[in-house]
Amino acid sequence: MPVISFTFPLPLGLHARPASQLQEACLPLAAAIRFRNERNNRRADARSVLALVASDTCGGDPCRLEISGPDQERAARVLRDFLDRRLPHADDELAPEKKGTAGPACLPPVFLDGAQQLLQGLTLSPGLGRGPAARVGGAVSWPRRFAAGKKNVKQELQLFRAACAEVAADLRREAVSARERNASGILRAHLTMVSDPGFQERITKLIRGRRSLPSQRRPLVGLPAGKAIGQAIARLSRDLRNSRSAYLRERTADLDDLAARLVQKLYGPAAAPAPTTLAGPAVGVAASLTPSQFLALDRRRLRGLALADAGATSHTAILARSFAVPAVGGLPASLAEIGTGEELIVDGRRGLILRRPSAALKRYYRLEERKLRQQERNFARLKTEPAQTADGRKLEIAANIGGAAELGSAWRNGAEAVGLFRTEMLFLERDAPPDEDEQFAAYREAARTANGRPVIIRTLDVGGDKHPPYLDLAREDNPFLGRRAVRFYAQQAELIRCQLRAILRAARFGALKIMVPMVNDLEEVRLVRRLLAEASSELKARKIPQREKIELGIMVETPAAAMFLDRLACEADFFSIGSNDLLQYFLAADRGNAGVAHIYDPRHPAFLRLLARAAAQARAAQRWLGMCGEMAGDPELLPLLVGLGLDELSLAANRIPALKARLRQLDTGACRELLQRALLCAGGAEVGELLLDFNGRGPAAAVTASELISLAADSRTPSEAIKELCDRLELAGRVADSGALEAAVWQRERTYPTDLGLGFAIPHGKSPQVRAASVAFLRPAHAIRWTKEADSRVRGVLLIAVPAGGPEQEHLKLIARLSRRLMHEDFRGALLNAPDKETVLEILMSCLRGTGAAEKNDSSMEKRK
Amino acid sequence: MTIVAVTACPTGIAHTYMAAEQLEKTARRLGHRIKVETQGAMGIENELSAEDIAGAQVAIFAADIRVQRSERFEKLKIVEVPVQEAIKNPEALFARLQL
Repeated sequence: MPVISFTFPLPLGLHARPASQLQEACLPLAAAIRFRNERNNRRADARSVLALVASDTCGGDPCRLEISGPDQERAARVLRDFLDRRLPHADDELAPEKKGTAGPACLPPVFLDGAQQLLQGLTLSPGLGRGPAARVGGAVSWPRRFAAGKKNVKQELQLFRAACAEVAADLRREAVSARERNASGILRAHLTMVSDPGFQERITKLIRGRRSLPSQRRPLVGLPAGKAIGQAIARLSRDLRNSRSAYLRERTADLDDLAARLVQKLYGPAAAPAPTTLAGPAVGVAASLTPSQFLALDRRRLRGLALADAGATSHTAILARSFAVPAVGGLPASLAEIGTGEELIVDGRRGLILRRPSAALKRYYRLEERKLRQQERNFARLKTEPAQTADGRKLEIAANIGGAAELGSAWRNGAEAVGLFRTEMLFLERDAPPDEDEQFAAYREAARTANGRPVIIRTLDVGGDKHPPYLDLAREDNPFLGRRAVRFYAQQAELIRCQLRAILRAARFGALKIMVPMVNDLEEVRLVRRLLAEASSELKARKIPQREKIELGIMVETPAAAMFLDRLACEADFFSIGSNDLLQYFLAADRGNAGVAHIYDPRHPAFLRLLARAAAQARAAQRWLGMCGEMAGDPELLPLLVGLGLDELSLAANRIPALKARLRQLDTGACRELLQRALLCAGGAEVGELLLDFNGRGPAAAVTASELISLAADSRTPSEAIKELCDRLELAGRVADSGALEAAVWQRERTYPTDLGLGFAIPHGKSPQVRAASVAFLRPAHAIRWTKEADSRVRGVLLIAVPAGGPEQEHLKLIARLSRRLMHEDFRGALLNAPDKETVLEILMSCLRGTGAAEKNDSSMEKRK
Repeated sequence: MTIVAVTACPTGIAHTYMAAEQLEKTARRLGHRIKVETQGAMGIENELSAEDIAGAQVAIFAADIRVQRSERFEKLKIVEVPVQEAIKNPEALFARLQL
C-alpha cells in the first residue's frame, strides 16, 4: 500500500478550498485514499471535504495519504504530483484580504470626552456607517419532531436525502445567478459541503440510529432529522472551534448556514429563523451572522454591521467587503446590551463601534463623511478621464478577468477594454468541458456589457498546473515546459473548434478578439487559423450566424516569441506580452518558488532589453502591442512601460484607478530617457534605484500644494483641525489612512502639546501610512483653544507628516527650514494675514525653496555642515 | 559670552530646529556668540567640535530626550532645559546663563 508523507504547506490550514481540490484530485481514481494528520492522529476520507476540514490540519502539520486499491500505483503518482504542484498554490488566488486589525492605539481627544461608549473590535470591512441598531441574524433551533410526522426511519432518511438534493439544487442555482464573484464562490463552497459524503453520512447515521446488540433483535432506534442535523453540526462546529487555525474557526457560520437551509426544507420556512427585515436605514447587530442571513438582508438599508463572532476571513466578512458594507467583528460581550433603535456609528477602518455618540463626535464623523464623499467624486472623475500621459499620449488601460462575473468590476473601475479574458475558469472544476452554447453565453455577455469596447478572449490555456480531469493530459516531469496551451490544440482539435465557434457566434454582439497562448512559431498560429476556418465553415453549414472577420493575436510569453515578432506578424494581427510567464522563462526562475524570488525581477535590464526589442519589432511591423501580467499593474514600473511605447496595459480591475492616476502624471519623453538609462544598468536593483529617484521627483513629491491649505476652516477643536488636515493629505493621496496619521499626531501631542504659544500650533507625526513628507496648513475661522490650560489661542495650524522609516533627508531638511522660519514673527504674521490660498502657498513655497528672507545665522561660529 | 548648545526633541522633526533657531536668534540679539548642534531625525548636524566646546564658557542642552555623546561637555557648565522652554522663553534662559 503506497503511503505519501508530507508537511501541510498552506498557512491557512486545510480549509474548504484545498480540501475540495484534494477531493477533486481523488475523484477520478479508483483506490481508497485515507488522509491522516500525524499531529493529532485524526483521519479522514480524502474524498470528503468536510472530514478533511474537520481534521484540523494547520500549516506545518505532518500528514500522510494512505492509498490502497486497484490503481494504487497510478493514484500515488497523481497525488504526489498534486501535493507537489497544486496544493502549495491552492490559496494563491485567495487574496489575503486585509487582516482584521486592531484600531489605532491613540485616538483624538474627541473620542474620550463625552458620554459615548467605545467598543473596540476588529476591522472586517472598512468604511463608515451610522444608524439605529437593529438585531439581525439569530441562532438556528433544531426541531425535535420527526420530519415524516411519526417515527419511520426509512421515510425520515428519504426526506433528509431529498432535502440535501433540494438545497444543493438551490445553491447551484444561486451560485450561477449571483452577480458578485465572492458571493458565488461562497455558495459553491456550501454546495461542496452539502454534497459531501462525509457530511451526509454523519447525519444519516444518526437518523438511522444504531442497532443494539444483534442478539436483541430490537427495531432500529433513530433520531428525528432535525435533531440529527443539530447534533452533527454541533460536533463538526466543535471540531472547527477547537481548531488552531483562525481560518478554520471562522467556518462555523458556514455550517450553521447549511443547517438552517436543510431544516427549512424539512420542516418548512417557519422552522428556521426568518430573515430580518429592516424597516429603514439601520446598523445590524448580531452575535453571529451566516452568509445566507447576510445575503437576505436588504443591503440598501443596511448601513453597517457589528458582530461579536466573525473574523476577517469569515465568509460573512468577505461578503461585507464585496458589498462595501462597513463591518466590525470580534466585539466584546457588551454588544448584547445594545438596544434596538440605539444610535450607533460603525467606524470600519478603526474597528470601532460607538454607542450614543456625543455632538462633538458626530461633528467629527461628519468630516469623515465629507472626505469619503469627496473621495468618491474624485474616483468617479478619474474614471471618466482618458488614460493618457501628461503630454497627451494615449495608453489603453484594460482589465484582466477570469469570467463574466468580473465584468462589472472591470467597467466600474474604468477599464477601457478587457485585455485578457481567461477562459480556463469555464473549463476547470467540472467533469466535462462546457458545451458551445454555455461558452457562447459567457462570451456574449462579455461582448454585450462591453458596449463597443474591445474584449480579448484567450483560447484555452491548460496544462502546466491546470489539469481538467476530462482531458487526460499525460503527467510530465516539467509541465510548465510541457504540452500546455497551443501545444495540445492539434490533439484536442474539436475542443478548440468548439471554443472558436462560440467566440465567432458571440462576436456578432461586440468587438471580440482572439488571443492564442504559448505560441513559439508560425506553424502554431497557422494551426489556429486552420481551426478557426473550420469552425467558421461548420457554423455556416449549420446556418448559425457568426462574425467571420475576427482579429487573431498572439500572447507573447516565451522568449522565442519575443525575439520573433517580425515574422510572427505575418500571421498575427496583434500581440500581448504575458509578462509573468515570459519573465520566468526568460530568467529561468520559477515564479512560485520563494527561493528564487529575488531572481524573478521584472526590472532586470536584460528583460527590459528583450521588451524593448519586441516593442521595436512590433512597431516596425505596424502591429498593436499590449501587456497583460503583474508587471502591467505596478505603478512603480509604469514609467518603464510608457518608455517602451506599449499600446495597452491590462491588469486586475481594482488596480486600474491608481495606475491611471500615475499615468496622467508622466511625461513620455522623460520615460523614454529613463528606459534608455535602465537598459544600461548593471542589474534589477540599480534599475530600482533609478525608478525610486524618478518616481520621487514627480509632482507628488513636492512637500506642499494648494489643496493642502484650508482658510476660514470651521474646525472648532484641535481634534477637528487635525482631522481636516489629515483628510486633506489622504484626499491628495499623500497619506494612505488619515486615521493612522491622526493616531501618530495625537501620540505626539500627548508628550506635550505643540501649541507654540505664538498663535501657532505645529502638530506633527511619523507614520508608515504617510507616502510623501508633507506640510498642510489650516486657519480656523475662530481661534482655537488648543488645551484647557492654554491662555493664548491658535490662529494657524501647520501640520507636518513624515513617512516612518526610509531616509528622506531632502524633505526633512525642508521641514527643518520651515520650522526655523516659524520662529520669526514676520513669517508667522505673513501666514496669518495672507489674503488667499495662493499667497499662503507662495509664502510656504518660497520658504521651502530657501528663497525667502535671509535665514542664515550670521553669528554661528562655523557654517553648518 | 561664547555658548555651545544641543537641541533634541522626541520626533526630531520640528522642535529641535525651532529651538536651534530661537537660541541663535536670541544670542545674536543679546550679542553672544553661539553654535547650536541639532540632534534630530536627520541625525547630528552642525556638530560641535572639541575646539568649539573648549572655547565656550557654557553649554545649553535644550532637550526632551537624552543628549547623545554628552561626555564631550564634561568640563563645561551645562544648563539643561526642556525644548519648549528654549522656544517659548529664550530670554529667561539666557538670563540664567549670566549667574
